Amino acid sequence: MSTSLPMNPVAADVSPLTLPVRKIRADSRRLLRFRGSRRGASWGILTLGLALLFGLTPALAAANGAARGWERAVVSLEITRNQADFLQPWSTHPQSAAKAGIVVGPREILTTAFALDNRTLVRVQHGGRGSWADAEVVWVDYPANLALLTSTNAAFWTGLKPVALARTISRDRAIQVLRWRAGNLEVRKAEFNRFSVSNPSITDAAHVVLEINSEIDGAGWAEPVVSGKQVIGVVFAQTGNLCQVLPAPFLRSLLEARREGTFKGLGYFDFTWQPSENSETLRALKLPPERDGVVVIDVPKRPATTPVLQPRDILLEVDGFDVDVRGDYLDPIYGHLMLENLSTRNKWAGQPVALKIWREGRELDVVYTLPKVEVARRLVPESAHGTPPEYLILGGLILQPLTRNYLESWGQDWERRAPFRLAYFRNEEPSPERPSVVVLSQVLPDVFNLGYQDLRSLVLERINGRKVSGLNDVAPALAQAADGFHTFEFLKGESLQRLVLDARQLDAATQRVLQRYGIEEPALIRPSP
Amino acid sequence: MLKKAFSLLAFLGSAALLFGAEPERCVVQIITSSQQPMWDAPWRFDAVRRSGGTGFVIKGRKIMTNAHVVSWAKQILVRRYQDPRPYVARVLFVGHDCDLALLEVENDAFFEGLEPLEFGPLPKVRSTVVTYGYPAGGEQISYTRGVVSRIELQVYVHIGNRSLLAVQTDAAINPGNSGGPVLQDDVVVGVAFQNMPGLENAGFFIPPPVIQHFLKDVEDGRYDGFPTAGIRIVALQNPAYRRRLKLEDDRTGARVDSLLPIPSTEQVLRPEDVLLQVGTYPIGSDGTVMFEGNRVFGSVAFQTAQHGETLSLKVWRDGQTTEVSLPMFVYDGDRLLGSQYDVLPRYFVHAGLVFTPLSQEYLRTIGRDAPNAEILYELYYRRHESPKTARPEPVVLVSVLPHPVNANLKAGRALVDRINGVRIEKLADVVRAFESGTNTHHLIEFLPNRALEALDRPTALAAHAEILKTYGLPSDRRL
Repeated sequence: MSTSLPMNPVAADVSPLTLPVRKIRADSRRLLRFRGSRRGASWGILTLGLALLFGLTPALAAANGAARGWERAVVSLEITRNQADFLQPWSTHPQSAAKAGIVVGPREILTTAFALDNRTLVRVQHGGRGSWADAEVVWVDYPANLALLTSTNAAFWTGLKPVALARTISRDRAIQVLRWRAGNLEVRKAEFNRFSVSNPSITDAAHVVLEINSEIDGAGWAEPVVSGKQVIGVVFAQTGNLCQVLPAPFLRSLLEARREGTFKGLGYFDFTWQPSENSETLRALKLPPERDGVVVIDVPKRPATTPVLQPRDILLEVDGFDVDVRGDYLDPIYGHLMLENLSTRNKWAGQPVALKIWREGRELDVVYTLPKVEVARRLVPESAHGTPPEYLILGGLILQPLTRNYLESWGQDWERRAPFRLAYFRNEEPSPERPSVVVLSQVLPDVFNLGYQDLRSLVLERINGRKVSGLNDVAPALAQAADGFHTFEFLKGESLQRLVLDARQLDAATQRVLQRYGIEEPALIRPSP
Repeated sequence: MLKKAFSLLAFLGSAALLFGAEPERCVVQIITSSQQPMWDAPWRFDAVRRSGGTGFVIKGRKIMTNAHVVSWAKQILVRRYQDPRPYVARVLFVGHDCDLALLEVENDAFFEGLEPLEFGPLPKVRSTVVTYGYPAGGEQISYTRGVVSRIELQVYVHIGNRSLLAVQTDAAINPGNSGGPVLQDDVVVGVAFQNMPGLENAGFFIPPPVIQHFLKDVEDGRYDGFPTAGIRIVALQNPAYRRRLKLEDDRTGARVDSLLPIPSTEQVLRPEDVLLQVGTYPIGSDGTVMFEGNRVFGSVAFQTAQHGETLSLKVWRDGQTTEVSLPMFVYDGDRLLGSQYDVLPRYFVHAGLVFTPLSQEYLRTIGRDAPNAEILYELYYRRHESPKTARPEPVVLVSVLPHPVNANLKAGRALVDRINGVRIEKLADVVRAFESGTNTHHLIEFLPNRALEALDRPTALAAHAEILKTYGLPSDRRL
């Protein structure tokens, strides 16, 4: 993981989280709820409306010779899912999403993992028209944002032909973005912009991203990007005219590793380094003037392993590549890239990466083993794809674990709009005292919780004097009620610090709240790992 | 937290004078030339700003106005009604927490023939009031009439982190009205001071209880301010909670939820105490008191005390009523979280690296578009959550004045952790860290993850004077 002081140029290499338009729709739904409406307009209908609208635009006339042959490799996906609502964790609602896929092998369709979580039905269609075939997800990896699908319907495969993923990407050749729209293959011109290193969907991971500019609207749903006869990538996000693309060489090496059984998930660098454009910093660490590198400043403690790096080590080489003072290396395919990419360049979780470092006045070779990107590693766990949100209702008080999904329910601008203190936990590391965070997210009013009905977004610290870090801690803590009362204590800060509930009335109140608010289950708690 | 909900009412521009009748003879126009320091370039000042406000003559040959009308003033001119001659005034007392100031005029002729205005009681809700002032939109004195809409605690935006009693009226109160009297039956019942953008037909004025508190405070020749009890009072309305505290389920008693680290308070009160009465004011279960016919938040009862006075409190503790005496003092532990006045920003510069204490004033220069989570956390949360790791005066590296010795150092707006191994608890530590030690390099470490920047010590020292000269710094420090 790289870091930089706020004015540092490296900050520019870290792209902001970008969302395809349909995610933004989910945000506006939240606004509707805040006005009291339980549900916004149906997603599926809107999607259809959009498709019809765009289907009529002259852009489709752009289909030309360059598109020939792609009809046999690009397919449409229709996904129905039970979308979780982290602000009402007990309720889900069906949504549908239209995506693209590309045939990359015998009975094998490649797409992004996005929107495949909580799926209830996946169907595929070829040629942009005709009947839909049921499909199944063979493999999905959410941190890598990739999935492989197949279908047992033989008729679906008739006429389809796998295409190759490019081994390199030329910056000079014409590129297009493809997708099916209203029965025709839409072919959109795109321009090469640059390569960057990031992974917007999970904080720890980083890999190469191709950035292209295109006039296309509403992309980010796994539209193939092609150049000549080759697929050079898959669009995974769009902001304005900028499309972010998973580049084919990255996809290719990942899929090969999967086939060979060596892909155990994305790995990452868990240490923090800083650029060293201020050469005096390197001099202060006694690095000879002719050498370059970047300074390691933070190495997390990982249980049961001795870190191979120490703060103030200088990274000279990573995986055989020289590191410059910006923290870049020269990639044979992509040119200058941030060294972070070497955690996913033909290397996967559990595999070794050779590092050459400068420590206390001398050069040293060490082997760094890539830890696996884990959604649950952080104090605020990253997207829990495919698992419904956990919650616990206690007499109308809603307790929820603090997760990135929960924060994201504040909308696209969630990093600024979510309560600052809650969002700030993302900057903190889990510790034995606080391995995770439980939030009193809201209160469903009932006579039992009178006086507390306006509380929200409070960090729960203790119940009846016992530490609560996860929902699993709650039941044992409730067993400690004193004199028939439960005492809840919250993080000291700007808000309320303490409340008391009647222990004997709690269960009856919970039942009353469930009934009154139409909630089926009082809790969803997964056993702690 | 950072947003100003109100706008102050001083306005830019000038005005002239004309004719009038009785109370308006005592209403004066105040023209201030002021210059604010720049909190992100602490040796510099903003451009001189000319702003207009209103004041009024009270007994003792003084002019009352708002603190924000005369803040950072380099020159204050006052003009009498119908009198073309400007008089020079100066600040005698200023209360930034209550946004009031008293001015004196050197030339006694200014007060000749003026019958000072008298103060009246807190006006009743729905009663009619008239404002007098020199607002924007013309040059003559302006009167507006309205009713008292409501009376409750409001944030006083001039200081930003204090709430005192304020009166809302639908009489138009506009920029330039600031400091002007609000009259009812020819006596002053308020001083116009702020409005709220987006809220129409709503202006606010400072009511007599706050004005009288200020006037009493300065009787001893200095202004202390409004004391703070330092307790968070929360509603106590949950039946179970009241039962656990063995308190009858009625309308009185609000709970002390937490305390600020004020020793005089911590010795007397504790969390879980239930406040039944403060002075003569019974506390409602929602934390409010009945204050001259208005249900307002209970801190009003504490604000009746002067700095150093003692309030007697009735407290419910351990199942019975206890009487305690709470000494009341002005609290300045949150000074960095409010607007600062009168004292110029402190800083230290070494080899072009500019250091200053972290404050709300500094944060405001960054703006909301460039939020820095670490800085926000350090300023607003750490002191509560982990007082042990909190620094008395966190220091930021504000900027780097470029010179070949430091041009590669790209840091700015960063919280300083250590310099040359010295943990930076306050600005003075920065000076000590740079001026002691003998290593070849100065090493500066930043929060949160100890990012590191180095400076070559001898060349930095050699360049120091030149950098000050190049960028026009009169001194490398203001401590």
